[in-house]
Amino acid sequence: MSESLAFSINPGSPEPIYRQLMEQLRRRVASGALVAGQELPSVRELALALAVNPMTISKAYGLLEAEGLLERRRGLSMVVAAKHRHARSQAERIALLRPALQQAAEAARQLEVGPRDALELFKTILQEEPK
Amino acid sequence: MTTLTLSQHAAPGGLALDGSGPAASVELRGLSLAYAGRPVLDGLDWRLLPGQVVGLLGRNGVGKTTLLEALLGLRDARAGSATLFGQPLATLDDATRARIGFVPQQSQLFDWLTPRQLLAYFRSFYPKWNGPKAEALLARWEIPQDQQIAKLSGGQQQRLSIVRALAPEPDLLVLDEPVSSLDPIGRRDFLRELVEQVLDRGTTVVFSTHILSDLERVAFNVAFLAHGKIAVQAPLAELMDDCRRLTGPASRVDAHLRAQGLTPLSRRELDAGQVAVLAAHADATLPEGLHAERLSLEDLFAELTQ
Repeated sequence: MSESLAFSINPGSPEPIYRQLMEQLRRRVASGALVAGQELPSVRELALALAVNPMTISKAYGLLEAEGLLERRRGLSMVVAAKHRHARSQAERIALLRPALQQAAEAARQLEVGPRDALELFKTILQEEPK
Repeated sequence: MTTLTLSQHAAPGGLALDGSGPAASVELRGLSLAYAGRPVLDGLDWRLLPGQVVGLLGRNGVGKTTLLEALLGLRDARAGSATLFGQPLATLDDATRARIGFVPQQSQLFDWLTPRQLLAYFRSFYPKWNGPKAEALLARWEIPQDQQIAKLSGGQQQRLSIVRALAPEPDLLVLDEPVSSLDPIGRRDFLRELVEQVLDRGTTVVFSTHILSDLERVAFNVAFLAHGKIAVQAPLAELMDDCRRLTGPASRVDAHLRAQGLTPLSRRELDAGQVAVLAAHADATLPEGLHAERLSLEDLFAELTQ
């Protein structure tokens, strides 16, 4: 599996693993890291690489196919759907970032961490090496 | 995902599925068993379908080991029935017995033998034996073949016990805390091996563990054991998608549940007349004073095994 497809699985979160995979694939297509026609790892490959139940991978792929992000090619391989030829616009990518930040904002409010400190933390995190 | 699918799966022991679908790998009905005079299993119903990977969860001492052993016929139930692959457990033939692999919590190996001798011995009991696979696993998991088992580390013994269970290519694999002595890398490698079994052979797997992160990766279904019964069994992703923990004053929570026609999966009294309930509750507007939150597997464990 190529480096760019190194998914990260976060057990222990309230987000089921199949949703984590879907979200990461949506982001990669939006950023143009994955483009139309590009083949995804097979269910088998990904299940073994991530040590995750194959049905979880199938579920994520199946839902993304229904959503129009992926297409099933002859045989069983999944590719990025033809309409995703280019990265999405900056505005669209920002819109995709919104739900994650909304959640963070909610957490900040509950913890009564003010905007200045929250933004400072976000800046620091952006500069950290990815996990 | 609708609440309907969840409530079906959440029916005790999956009774909603009775009488349909493929022959179950395991079917327990009304199983009751006491241990030292104390009831452990109390009319337990449980059904495992071919190819399912089910994580068995429950607090310490709740009877997970007893349940897994009873399922294999290693403990006599006081009441109820058990069938494996459609055969009554009491009269299981040798061919069916050979389709079962078991990794007990305490590895019961003949520790005066070497791994090579042990595997040669067990090989004679099974019609099928994947020698190359056993060899490959021994090498990959760094188990010295010619050292006395007694002198192997706890982790090596546990891995050997897993190799012994996998070599006959079982159709049903029962694992009781199989990874307690393994380090994170060893555990990950073991999980891959399980995934491969499922991919290649459609093995039915049931395993208990307290390492929830492992379970979340590999178990598509989870079963919660509490008070002698399977309290809930459902696909984990569905539980996480559909369930919310609702908290608030008891009277308001109850009124809301009634209004929505919801039966809670669990209920816990908090301080000052507040309650926390677990229910299949879609994200909708909540009445004032109620709070809903999504749950991780650990939260589900806490609510469903009390």
